[in-house]
Amino acid sequence: MIGLVSTPQVGLDFDALMRQHQSMVFSLAYHFLHDREVAEEVAQEVFLSLHRNLKNIQSPAHAGFWLRKVTVQRAIDEGRRRARRPQVALEDVAEPAAHHAQEDPMLRDKLRRLIATLAEGPRAVMILRYQEDLDPAEIAEILGMPVATVKSHLQRSLALLREKLARRSMGEM
Amino acid sequence: MDWLEQELKQALDRKEPSPDFAERVRRRTRGDGFRTALWPQRWLAAAAAVIVLAGVGLGYREYQGQVARQQVMLAFRIAGAKVNHIQTQVKERMR
Repeated sequence: MIGLVSTPQVGLDFDALMRQHQSMVFSLAYHFLHDREVAEEVAQEVFLSLHRNLKNIQSPAHAGFWLRKVTVQRAIDEGRRRARRPQVALEDVAEPAAHHAQEDPMLRDKLRRLIATLAEGPRAVMILRYQEDLDPAEIAEILGMPVATVKSHLQRSLALLREKLARRSMGEM
Repeated sequence: MDWLEQELKQALDRKEPSPDFAERVRRRTRGDGFRTALWPQRWLAAAAAVIVLAGVGLGYREYQGQVARQQVMLAFRIAGAKVNHIQTQVKERMR
Protein backbone atom coordinates (compact mmCIF):
# COMPACT_ATOMS: atom_id res chain seq x y z
CA MET A 1 0.00 0.00 0.00
CA ILE A 2 1.31 3.45 -0.79
CA GLY A 3 -0.09 5.22 2.22
CA LEU A 4 -3.08 6.54 0.38
CA VAL A 5 -5.75 5.91 2.96
CA SER A 6 -5.73 8.60 5.56
CA THR A 7 -8.27 10.61 7.40
CA PRO A 8 -10.76 12.11 4.96
CA GLN A 9 -9.68 15.54 3.82
CA VAL A 10 -12.40 18.09 3.50
CA GLY A 11 -12.49 20.48 0.58
CA LEU A 12 -10.19 19.00 -2.05
CA ASP A 13 -10.00 21.60 -4.79
CA PHE A 14 -11.12 20.07 -8.09
CA ASP A 15 -9.52 22.80 -10.19
CA ALA A 16 -6.21 22.40 -8.39
CA LEU A 17 -6.30 18.63 -8.84
CA MET A 18 -7.04 19.09 -12.52
CA ARG A 19 -4.19 21.56 -12.98
CA GLN A 20 -1.83 19.24 -11.14
CA HIS A 21 -2.77 16.02 -12.91
CA GLN A 22 -4.06 16.93 -16.36
CA SER A 23 -0.79 16.21 -18.16
CA MET A 24 -0.42 12.90 -16.32
CA VAL A 25 -3.97 11.80 -17.16
CA PHE A 26 -3.80 12.98 -20.75
CA SER A 27 -0.36 11.42 -21.34
CA LEU A 28 -1.39 8.04 -19.93
CA ALA A 29 -4.36 8.00 -22.30
CA TYR A 30 -2.30 9.33 -25.19
CA HIS A 31 0.52 6.83 -24.86
CA PHE A 32 -1.96 4.04 -24.45
CA LEU A 33 -4.24 4.96 -27.37
CA HIS A 34 -1.75 6.79 -29.59
CA ASP A 35 -4.45 9.25 -30.64
CA ARG A 36 -4.47 12.79 -29.29
CA GLU A 37 -8.16 13.48 -29.85
CA VAL A 38 -9.33 10.24 -28.30
CA ALA A 39 -6.89 10.71 -25.41
CA GLU A 40 -8.37 14.16 -24.67
CA GLU A 41 -11.85 12.68 -24.67
CA VAL A 42 -10.79 9.93 -22.27
CA ALA A 43 -9.01 12.47 -20.05
CA GLN A 44 -12.14 14.62 -19.91
CA GLU A 45 -14.24 11.63 -18.92
CA VAL A 46 -11.74 10.77 -16.19
CA PHE A 47 -11.92 14.27 -14.71
CA LEU A 48 -15.72 14.29 -14.92
CA SER A 49 -15.67 11.04 -13.02
CA LEU A 50 -13.31 12.59 -10.46
CA HIS A 51 -15.70 15.53 -10.10
CA ARG A 52 -18.57 13.16 -9.37
CA ASN A 53 -16.50 11.11 -6.92
CA LEU A 54 -14.63 13.94 -5.22
CA LYS A 55 -16.31 13.26 -1.88
CA ASN A 56 -14.76 9.78 -1.85
CA ILE A 57 -11.23 11.06 -2.43
CA GLN A 58 -9.39 11.20 0.87
CA SER A 59 -6.18 13.04 0.09
CA PRO A 60 -4.15 14.49 -2.80
CA ALA A 61 -2.08 11.28 -2.90
CA HIS A 62 -5.28 9.26 -3.09
CA ALA A 63 -6.43 11.49 -5.96
CA GLY A 64 -3.22 10.76 -7.89
CA PHE A 65 -3.56 7.02 -7.35
CA TRP A 66 -7.28 7.12 -8.24
CA LEU A 67 -6.65 9.11 -11.41
CA ARG A 68 -3.91 6.76 -12.63
CA LYS A 69 -6.07 3.72 -11.99
CA VAL A 70 -9.21 5.14 -13.60
CA THR A 71 -7.30 6.55 -16.58
CA VAL A 72 -5.63 3.23 -17.38
CA GLN A 73 -8.96 1.42 -17.05
CA ARG A 74 -10.76 3.96 -19.23
CA ALA A 75 -8.00 3.82 -21.82
CA ILE A 76 -8.20 0.02 -21.91
CA ASP A 77 -11.99 0.22 -22.30
CA GLU A 78 -11.71 2.82 -25.04
CA GLY A 79 -9.09 0.78 -26.88
CA ARG A 80 -11.35 -2.26 -26.78
CA ARG A 81 -14.40 -0.27 -27.80
CA ARG A 82 -12.80 1.36 -30.77
CA ALA A 83 -10.66 -1.55 -31.85
CA ARG A 84 -9.58 0.80 -34.58
CA ARG A 85 -6.05 -0.50 -34.63
CA PRO A 86 -5.64 -4.28 -34.85
CA GLN A 87 -3.35 -5.72 -32.24
CA VAL A 88 -0.01 -6.51 -33.80
CA ALA A 89 2.61 -8.65 -32.18
CA LEU A 90 5.70 -6.66 -31.29
CA GLU A 91 7.75 -9.05 -33.40
CA ASP A 92 5.76 -8.08 -36.49
CA VAL A 93 6.18 -4.34 -36.23
CA ALA A 94 8.57 -2.50 -38.50
CA GLU A 95 11.88 -2.07 -36.79
CA PRO A 96 13.13 1.20 -35.38
CA ALA A 97 15.50 3.11 -37.59
CA ALA A 98 18.61 3.24 -35.45
CA HIS A 99 20.37 2.01 -32.35
CA HIS A 100 21.69 5.24 -30.97
CA ALA A 101 19.11 7.70 -29.79
CA GLN A 102 21.23 10.76 -30.31
CA GLU A 103 21.63 9.89 -33.98
CA ASP A 104 17.99 9.25 -34.75
CA PRO A 105 15.30 11.79 -33.97
CA MET A 106 12.71 9.24 -35.09
CA LEU A 107 13.67 6.66 -32.48
CA ARG A 108 11.39 7.98 -29.76
CA ASP A 109 8.44 8.06 -32.10
CA LYS A 110 9.23 4.50 -33.16
CA LEU A 111 9.43 3.47 -29.54
CA ARG A 112 6.03 5.06 -28.86
CA ARG A 113 4.59 3.18 -31.82
CA LEU A 114 6.08 -0.07 -30.57
CA ILE A 115 4.64 0.49 -27.12
CA ALA A 116 1.23 1.23 -28.65
CA THR A 117 1.26 -2.16 -30.35
CA LEU A 118 1.82 -4.12 -27.15
CA ALA A 119 -1.07 -6.03 -25.63
CA GLU A 120 -3.08 -4.14 -22.99
CA GLY A 121 -1.33 -5.49 -19.90
CA PRO A 122 2.30 -5.04 -20.98
CA ARG A 123 1.44 -1.67 -22.55
CA ALA A 124 -0.07 -0.34 -19.34
CA VAL A 125 2.90 -1.65 -17.36
CA MET A 126 5.45 -0.03 -19.68
CA ILE A 127 3.64 3.31 -19.71
CA LEU A 128 3.26 3.43 -15.94
CA ARG A 129 6.92 2.43 -15.53
CA TYR A 130 8.49 4.88 -17.95
CA GLN A 131 6.00 7.74 -18.05
CA GLU A 132 5.14 7.77 -14.37
CA ASP A 133 8.41 6.31 -13.10
CA LEU A 134 6.52 3.92 -10.82
CA ASP A 135 8.12 0.82 -9.33
CA PRO A 136 6.64 -2.63 -9.97
CA ALA A 137 4.82 -2.73 -6.61
CA GLU A 138 3.03 0.55 -7.34
CA ILE A 139 2.16 -0.58 -10.87
CA ALA A 140 0.84 -3.87 -9.51
CA GLU A 141 -1.43 -2.03 -7.10
CA ILE A 142 -2.83 0.25 -9.80
CA LEU A 143 -3.42 -2.56 -12.29
CA GLY A 144 -4.52 -5.13 -9.74
CA MET A 145 -2.02 -7.73 -10.87
CA PRO A 146 0.75 -9.61 -9.05
CA VAL A 147 4.13 -7.90 -8.79
CA ALA A 148 5.72 -10.91 -10.46
CA THR A 149 3.47 -10.42 -13.49
CA VAL A 150 4.43 -6.75 -13.69
CA LYS A 151 8.13 -7.66 -13.59
CA SER A 152 7.59 -10.32 -16.22
CA HIS A 153 5.81 -7.87 -18.54
CA LEU A 154 8.62 -5.36 -18.10
CA GLN A 155 11.37 -7.88 -18.78
CA ARG A 156 9.68 -9.40 -21.80
CA SER A 157 8.78 -6.06 -23.35
CA LEU A 158 12.29 -4.68 -22.85
CA ALA A 159 13.84 -7.84 -24.26
CA LEU A 160 11.64 -7.60 -27.35
CA LEU A 161 12.55 -3.97 -27.86
CA ARG A 162 16.26 -4.71 -27.49
CA GLU A 163 15.96 -7.57 -29.94
CA LYS A 164 14.30 -5.31 -32.51
CA LEU A 165 16.94 -2.64 -32.08
CA ALA A 166 19.82 -5.13 -32.21
CA ARG A 167 18.44 -6.74 -35.38
CA ARG A 168 18.09 -3.33 -36.92
CA SER A 169 21.61 -2.22 -36.15
CA MET A 170 23.01 -5.50 -37.47
CA GLY A 171 21.10 -4.91 -40.67
CA GLU A 172 22.76 -1.53 -41.04
CA MET A 173 26.31 -2.97 -40.91
CA MET B 1 18.87 2.26 -16.06
CA ASP B 2 20.48 1.67 -19.46
CA TRP B 3 20.24 3.76 -22.63
CA LEU B 4 17.08 2.01 -23.83
CA GLU B 5 15.26 2.70 -20.61
CA GLN B 6 16.43 6.30 -20.74
CA GLU B 7 15.07 6.52 -24.28
CA LEU B 8 11.77 5.02 -23.17
CA LYS B 9 11.50 7.63 -20.43
CA GLN B 10 12.04 10.33 -23.02
CA ALA B 11 9.66 8.72 -25.50
CA LEU B 12 6.95 8.36 -22.87
CA ASP B 13 7.38 11.73 -21.23
CA ARG B 14 4.30 13.64 -20.21
CA LYS B 15 2.54 15.74 -22.79
CA GLU B 16 0.18 18.64 -22.27
CA PRO B 17 -3.41 18.47 -23.53
CA SER B 18 -4.74 21.35 -25.62
CA PRO B 19 -4.78 24.75 -23.87
CA ASP B 20 -8.56 24.84 -23.47
CA PHE B 21 -8.71 21.36 -21.95
CA ALA B 22 -9.38 22.52 -18.39
CA GLU B 23 -12.05 24.97 -19.50
CA ARG B 24 -13.84 22.28 -21.51
CA VAL B 25 -13.82 19.98 -18.49
CA ARG B 26 -15.16 22.80 -16.29
CA ARG B 27 -17.96 23.45 -18.78
CA ARG B 28 -18.87 19.78 -18.73
CA THR B 29 -18.82 19.67 -14.94
CA ARG B 30 -21.30 22.56 -14.90
CA GLY B 31 -23.49 20.64 -17.34
CA ASP B 32 -23.03 17.62 -15.13
CA GLY B 33 -24.16 19.63 -12.11
CA PHE B 34 -27.13 20.93 -14.07
CA ARG B 35 -28.13 17.41 -15.01
CA THR B 36 -27.66 16.28 -11.41
CA ALA B 37 -29.85 19.15 -10.22
CA LEU B 38 -32.55 18.04 -12.65
CA TRP B 39 -32.70 14.53 -11.23
CA PRO B 40 -35.41 15.23 -8.59
CA GLN B 41 -37.56 16.96 -11.19
CA ARG B 42 -37.13 14.04 -13.57
CA TRP B 43 -38.07 11.57 -10.86
CA LEU B 44 -41.15 13.61 -10.02
CA ALA B 45 -42.18 13.80 -13.66
CA ALA B 46 -41.67 10.06 -14.08
CA ALA B 47 -43.66 9.33 -10.90
CA ALA B 48 -46.47 11.64 -12.05
CA ALA B 49 -46.55 9.91 -15.43
CA VAL B 50 -46.77 6.49 -13.74
CA ILE B 51 -49.61 7.67 -11.48
CA VAL B 52 -51.53 9.16 -14.42
CA LEU B 53 -51.09 5.98 -16.48
CA ALA B 54 -52.15 3.82 -13.55
CA GLY B 55 -55.22 6.07 -13.02
CA VAL B 56 -56.13 5.89 -16.69
CA GLY B 57 -55.74 2.11 -16.58
CA LEU B 58 -57.94 1.78 -13.51
CA GLY B 59 -60.56 4.14 -14.99
CA TYR B 60 -60.65 2.14 -18.19
CA ARG B 61 -61.08 -1.10 -16.28
CA GLU B 62 -63.92 0.44 -14.29
CA TYR B 63 -65.55 1.65 -17.51
CA GLN B 64 -65.25 -1.84 -18.98
CA GLY B 65 -66.81 -3.23 -15.80
CA GLN B 66 -69.76 -0.85 -16.06
CA VAL B 67 -70.31 -1.73 -19.71
CA ALA B 68 -70.22 -5.43 -18.84
CA ARG B 69 -72.65 -4.89 -15.94
CA GLN B 70 -75.06 -3.02 -18.21
CA GLN B 71 -74.85 -5.81 -20.78
CA VAL B 72 -75.58 -8.41 -18.12
CA MET B 73 -78.52 -6.37 -16.84
CA LEU B 74 -79.85 -6.03 -20.38
CA ALA B 75 -79.46 -9.78 -20.87
CA PHE B 76 -81.37 -10.38 -17.62
CA ARG B 77 -84.13 -8.01 -18.71
CA ILE B 78 -84.44 -9.71 -22.10
CA ALA B 79 -84.42 -13.12 -20.49
CA GLY B 80 -86.98 -11.96 -17.89
CA ALA B 81 -89.26 -10.61 -20.60
CA LYS B 82 -89.03 -13.90 -22.47
CA VAL B 83 -89.79 -15.87 -19.34
CA ASN B 84 -92.81 -13.64 -18.60
CA HIS B 85 -94.03 -14.08 -22.14
CA ILE B 86 -93.72 -17.86 -21.90
CA GLN B 87 -95.43 -17.89 -18.48
CA THR B 88 -98.31 -15.83 -19.88
CA GLN B 89 -98.75 -18.20 -22.80
CA VAL B 90 -98.60 -21.25 -20.55
CA LYS B 91 -101.26 -19.78 -18.23
CA GLU B 92 -103.54 -18.95 -21.20
CA ARG B 93 -103.33 -22.47 -22.53
CA MET B 94 -104.01 -23.99 -19.16
CA ARG B 95 -107.25 -22.10 -18.82
